[in-house]
Parts: sequence; C-alpha cells; structure tokens
Amino acid sequence: MLTKINSFFGSLGKTFRDCMGELSRIRKLMEEFFYWGIIAPFTGKRGIGRENFARQLTFMGNESLFIVFLVSTSIGAVLALQAAYQLKQFGALLYTGALVSVSMARELGPVVTAIVIAGRVGAAITAELGTMKVQEEVDALTTMGIPPISFLIVPRMLAIIVMLPVLTCLSFAVGIFGGFLVGSLCLGIDANLYMKASFDALVAKDILTGLAKSFVFAALIGVIATHTGLSVKGGADGVGKATTQSVVASIISVIVADGFCTAIFFYVF
Amino acid sequence: MKQVIQIQNVIKRFGDRAVLNGINFNIHEGETLVIMGGSGCGKSTLLRNIIGLMRPEEGRIMIFGKDMASAPDEERNQIRKSFGMLFQGSALFNSLTVGENVALPLKEHTQLDEQIIKIIVKVKLELVGLTGFEGLKPYEISGGMKKRVALARAIALDPKIVFYDEPGAGLDPITASVIDHLIMDLSKKLKMTSVVVTHEMKSAFRIADRMVMLHQGRVIAEGTAEDIRNSTNPYVHQFIHGEMDGPDHFQKTRDDYLKGIFGNV
Repeated sequence: MLTKINSFFGSLGKTFRDCMGELSRIRKLMEEFFYWGIIAPFTGKRGIGRENFARQLTFMGNESLFIVFLVSTSIGAVLALQAAYQLKQFGALLYTGALVSVSMARELGPVVTAIVIAGRVGAAITAELGTMKVQEEVDALTTMGIPPISFLIVPRMLAIIVMLPVLTCLSFAVGIFGGFLVGSLCLGIDANLYMKASFDALVAKDILTGLAKSFVFAALIGVIATHTGLSVKGGADGVGKATTQSVVASIISVIVADGFCTAIFFYVF
Repeated sequence: MKQVIQIQNVIKRFGDRAVLNGINFNIHEGETLVIMGGSGCGKSTLLRNIIGLMRPEEGRIMIFGKDMASAPDEERNQIRKSFGMLFQGSALFNSLTVGENVALPLKEHTQLDEQIIKIIVKVKLELVGLTGFEGLKPYEISGGMKKRVALARAIALDPKIVFYDEPGAGLDPITASVIDHLIMDLSKKLKMTSVVVTHEMKSAFRIADRMVMLHQGRVIAEGTAEDIRNSTNPYVHQFIHGEMDGPDHFQKTRDDYLKGIFGNV
C-alpha cells in the first residue's frame, strides 16, 4: 500500500516537474521572440527577415483564403437555417440576419478561422520546424551564427499574428454572405431587409471583441506550433507525434481561451 | 606552429555518464586534423562542444583565443563567423535553392550587393565542381552533390577553420573519395584549418596531417598518420585494422550468453 502511495506521489511529482520544465522552455522562447522580434529590429541589431516574413504571409494568408471562405460560408448558411428553424416559431424570421452577423463577429468568425488555421498553418509550422530540427538544419543555422529564433520563429509568429485577424475579418464577411444566401434565396426574406437587419444589429464592440480574440488565438497557435516544432526529438516518428500534439493542443487552447475571453468581455467590458 | 584551437580538460556529462572525460589537445593553423574513434566514443559530442551547440561542464575550448565554452551567446555567434561546418546529413535548407543556401551566410553577415553575392555563390559552387546548379532545390540533387553544396556554404564566408562531421557517411566509395580530395584541395587552396570527425579509416589516413583517437571519452592516441599506424596501443591497433578481437571484444562464449540472458544464477 505504502509503495503504491509512494509511486503515486512520485509520478505526480515527475509530471509536475515536466510541466514546469515545459513552461520554462516556453517562457524562454517568448523572451527570445520579444528580443529578436521587437527589440533587435528597433536597435538595429537584426531585422525580422522581410523576405521570409512575406513568404509566411503568403502561405498563411493567400493560401488559406479558399478554405476559410468555404468553411465560413457554410457556417453562416447553416447558422441561418438553424436560427430560422427556431425564430419562425415566434414570427421573428427577420432577425435571422442579426443573429448570424453578431454570432459570426463575436464568436464563430474568430473561433472557426483559428481552428482552420491551427489545422492548416499550425500543423505545417510544427512539421516544418520539426523536420528542420531532426535534419540538423536548426543546428546549421546556429553554427552559421544566425539565431534560429530570429530566422525561423519571428517571421512565422509575426505572420500568424497579422494574418489571423485579417482572415477573421474575411471569415466574418463571407459568413454573413452565407447567411444572406440562405436567408434571401431559401427562407424568402427580402434581400435588403436581411442586410439591414444584419448590420443594424452589429455594434463596433462586436467586431472589436472578435478581433481581440483572434489576436489571442494567433499568439496561442504560434507559440504552441513553434515550441512543439523546436522540441521534436527522434526522426519521422517524432515529427508525426509533435504535429498531432500541436494541432490538438492548439484547438483545445483556442476553445478554452475563447471561453475566458468571452467571459472577460461579458463581465468586464 | 600557431595553435588555432586549444581544447583543455573538457568534461561533458549526460546524467551521471561522462561522455567526454578530460579531453586535451591542440589544433594547429593550416593542418587537417582527423578526430576518430568508435561509435559512442564521444567524437560527435566533442565536435558539438567545439562549435558551441553544447556547453561542457568543465574545461575550456579556445578558438582564436576566445573561450567557446564560457562565452555568452552573442560572442559565440561572433566566434562562429570564423568557421564553417559541414554536417553529416548536409543540413541544407530544403525551402531554399542551392544558390540561396550558399548565399545565406553572405546575406546574413555581410552588406554585400545582391549581384556580388551572386558572383561569390558562383565562385564557391565552381570550387566544389557544381557550376550551374544554383537554381535546383536540395531534394533534386544527389547525396554527394548535397555534401558539396554544404561544403560551398561552409566556405561562403572564407572561414579560417572548417569542421566536417563524417563527410563520407552515406556515400559510395568513389563519391566519398571525391569529397576527401575536395577537402584536401580546398584546405590547400584556401589555406584553411580542417577538423574532420570520422570513423572511416581509409578516408582518415588519406586526408590527415595529424590524428587524434578517442576512446571512452579520452584521447588515447595523438600524432601523425604514421604515428597512429605504428601505435602500440592495442585498442588503436584493433580499431585501425577493424578487428573483432582485442581490448573491445564482441565475440561471446556460451557462458557469456547464458550470463547475459539469465544473470549470475
């Protein structure tokens, strides 16, 4: 019995120590990111690598457009249908547009875009960095006197922090468009009335809330994806595991952070 | 002769196990020094300590008079500009072309104009016999070519020292020989100091001016190729002749097998 208790506390202690170690490595990564991403460019020590940054912006933004459009239009359309199903019982079908636009701005736009980007971009970042790590490319950078955080992490983190809010705005717009298509073509709501209801219901706070959330999600996905990528050990097996871990951890973090953010905006602002 | 690298009492431990257990030797300017030893003897760990990918627990690694072991990160990056490194797997960046790979250290560490960088890249690729390959991606060329591109990248900044980690690993004997000749040729032409880590004897004796032999984290022999060939140390003899029997024995008796499986019963 005593052995079992000892072993339980032993494994608990080990898990705690591992978690602390992981947190300390994430803190170090963040410190280095702030140094190379914010301080170093302003002090003239080292730029952010404009070429690399532009490449990442294209990859994260341009190449994600289609999937974000497709998913957001579908979500907007489905939301309109589900809302109409309930609202028509109260004769309030016209409010479908309002419900879709507010939901897309405050909740679904940021969350859905973040989940799509976690799956598409987060996974790609982890897999790429992990492969570079196991193929000694990260060591090669260090040996050349090029700080890997500056060369690899800064452009990716900055690109995701810029691109996720942009994609969130687009997702919000096409989500409303998806709802509009269903509302005007399937539910028989007058197109002008639908759009008026959609925009009348929106206030600046709704859009700002969504944008603030998307910044938080971008930072979370960026940190998780880059940290997991740089922590890869072993070969292809390690890269595969890290990529799965990165996507799962990013999606869970986005959903949990969404809960916190919604609560903060609801009670504080 | 001027010493460019001094390794003084370097100790590196992983947990309780000392992988490097008090390493001492010097590397002279312009020479090709081969560090050799069996798998797990600590030669790659030593190389990683010298180039600053690891820090030893004790000892000093002086490169041009600066201690790589204790220098802060920024100073280490400055020291690193004075040497190049050829990794075992080439470590080329797959997202960049061959030309961009060679140009990378030039773009990062110099203020040179794009056109001048292009010319330097051409010259470096010419030196390794790969003229006209600038536009290809690393996955479009063979293993031997990758090593040559990595070598061109290692010498891009005209370093005074180049480190090679198993340069012939994974290559056929002819290509490995081509790489060896390239190392000798470049060392002479560019007056570089070369430090080669390898366990391939043919290659080691072909290129070495001096050799250092590691075993269980210690230097057990040091000298010219001739000194090593005539060494009376039984392990050195076993290693350079690739014999199974010797101080490190792998053949087991029937009793050894039983002991290994069932313990001392």
